[in-house]
Amino acid sequence: MEAWIKAIFFPGFVFLLVVFLMIFYLERKILADVHLRTGPYYVGKWGILQTTADVFKLLQKEFIIQRRANKLLFSLIPFVAFLMVAALIAFIPFSEHSYIVSTSFDLLVVLALVTGMPPVFFYAGWASKSKYPFIGGLRVVNQMISGEIPLWLSALAAAVFYGTLNHLQIVQESSILGFIILLPAFLIFVTATLIVTDRPPFDIPEAEQEIVYGFLTEYGGFNYAILVLSKLIELFALYSIAVVLFLGGFKGPVLPGILWFFIKLAGLYLFTFVVRASTPRIRMDQLLRFCWKVLTPLALLNLAFIILVKMFIS
Amino acid sequence: MGNSITTAGYTFVVEESKEISGEDLGLLQEKLLQLNWGVQHPASGPMRLKVWVDGDEVVKVDPDIGYVLRLLEKLVEYRTWQNAIVNVERACFIDNFGTMTGYSIAAEKIAGVEVPKKADYVRTILCEGGRIVSHLIGLGSFVGVMGVHTPMQWALIAREKFLDAFEVYSGQRIATASIVPGGVRYEPTGKFIEKMVSAVDFLEKEFIPRYGEVFIDNPTLKVRSEGIGVVPKEKAVELGLAGPALRASGIPSDIRKDYPYAAYGELDFKVVTKEEGDCYARYLVIWEELIESAKIIRQAIEGFPEGEWRTKFPLKVPPGEAYVNVEWARGCFGFHLISDGGTGPYRLKMRAPSFANLWAMPELMKNIKLADVPVIFASLYMCHGDIDR
Repeated sequence: MEAWIKAIFFPGFVFLLVVFLMIFYLERKILADVHLRTGPYYVGKWGILQTTADVFKLLQKEFIIQRRANKLLFSLIPFVAFLMVAALIAFIPFSEHSYIVSTSFDLLVVLALVTGMPPVFFYAGWASKSKYPFIGGLRVVNQMISGEIPLWLSALAAAVFYGTLNHLQIVQESSILGFIILLPAFLIFVTATLIVTDRPPFDIPEAEQEIVYGFLTEYGGFNYAILVLSKLIELFALYSIAVVLFLGGFKGPVLPGILWFFIKLAGLYLFTFVVRASTPRIRMDQLLRFCWKVLTPLALLNLAFIILVKMFIS
Repeated sequence: MGNSITTAGYTFVVEESKEISGEDLGLLQEKLLQLNWGVQHPASGPMRLKVWVDGDEVVKVDPDIGYVLRLLEKLVEYRTWQNAIVNVERACFIDNFGTMTGYSIAAEKIAGVEVPKKADYVRTILCEGGRIVSHLIGLGSFVGVMGVHTPMQWALIAREKFLDAFEVYSGQRIATASIVPGGVRYEPTGKFIEKMVSAVDFLEKEFIPRYGEVFIDNPTLKVRSEGIGVVPKEKAVELGLAGPALRASGIPSDIRKDYPYAAYGELDFKVVTKEEGDCYARYLVIWEELIESAKIIRQAIEGFPEGEWRTKFPLKVPPGEAYVNVEWARGCFGFHLISDGGTGPYRLKMRAPSFANLWAMPELMKNIKLADVPVIFASLYMCHGDIDR
């Protein structure tokens, strides 16, 4: 297949949209299951089209921009955010052949793009020129910067272990032994992912009961849909990276590779949803203490451990 | 600005601070930022907290109430003795039986009416049912302010069973208007007792184990709520806290035990107290009272007497006045009822526990982070209807 067809269809935009509607649906359904209620039910079979209907509802809505808001920045930010996270998807090998590009710096590019997200979300809050979004913007910068250090360190542990930054090569070289050695790095990576993408219990920047909806408060309609979508894609991309780096990507017996990839991804998502249903949100100062005093030192120690292992293995 | 509420012997003054001005929202130039935590806010309910923040630190909190004022005390003056309960029960719709019981006891005191024993037992069962319903919502909303909606959903399922029982009893699920001066309004049928027992069964066998496993001793919940909004024993009395908030500071104040009314004198139950006085202690007090209430209902159903469930209440009540306290779900609810010999109350003053807790709140919200505001707010277990009346 041509790369541009891929970019539009299979691991590209259309695929992304379908996957997100599905993930959003599953999140609601699984949360409903934990809550002992039914969840989406009426639109489509088993309510499967509910999220699609929600997105179309958002598309119909009016663009509302506050008079005092910075109009250009306010309307530009959602698209910048979307572009930045959509670029992440290009580097993920969903199976042996379904990837858009493969370079020798895959992991580096992905991490660099993730590191570029805090200013975007901060400007989303700042451009709203409103109190709660501004606080949300400050919180998102605070949180993402403290989460990104362990994210980098644990991802680099895998890169050091396999001796390459290319995702395909990492997947090909992965083994059970690699999984066991990289288990601490995997746990740190998943925790840091939850922090960076502000998922519960680290959803401090959009803590509903404290600051309404954080930097998303003033957004509505299409802009809101795009911003939320880009946050979801960020999580999806980082989880996919986790699958590639630590869980052996598309490798697996009997079933085709792409299915294995999604089974592993589904496991991670299930973990996220259950955590969301049972763990209260923590406070900003507690999060910062956790990130800088626990997670970052652990990630550093883990990197040192991986270097030690690497010395003996090779 | 600056609110001062003068009560007997204690003057409560929130210190003055300068109003935030500036076109550019005062975000970067000014150190302080005033947030309107409320009226239109996901966790505030129909009231406003003016929260002044310095970065993430809360400098001052100033409650602004009055958004659900319905003048219930005044409306009661236009009702007869019997149908005044409709206004009384609307003090807070979540637990309406406590308020109706308090008003009825006050009216009976003035009229000199003796209530049959069976009515006392039905009142006890209904009051405890109301307390359970209210505590379930209290638990759910306390964890709910930290972004987890599971407890609320589980609590609502258990609450439904009790509402079913109320429906069988009175035909209404929430505003039941079922306790009147002179007894209770409807006959407690076998089906009602059956429903109540099945609701308590569900609570004890399904809800309590399931909830206790996940949301009691939950480490993250403890991290968030332990040591926040601490009220020492002496301070709790000084501030005039009420209900679970008072008992969480180690004061075993419970009207059901201290001045028994209805059938509480004949039943065996313990007053739940905690020593810590922080948000988590208040949460645990609500949780343990829930378990205790289920036991009270079981006892009351076992010792259910035979006989009449309502006596005649005179149309005109001789002049006089009475003050009655009842232990409502959210604390001690006081009724000062005055009769001038007419067909309805001359004046009713309701002393609401949530109002007392609300004015203690700014004291608790000193030297905290912004994220603690909703936690302390929810832990004080207030009902907006009862604050404004």
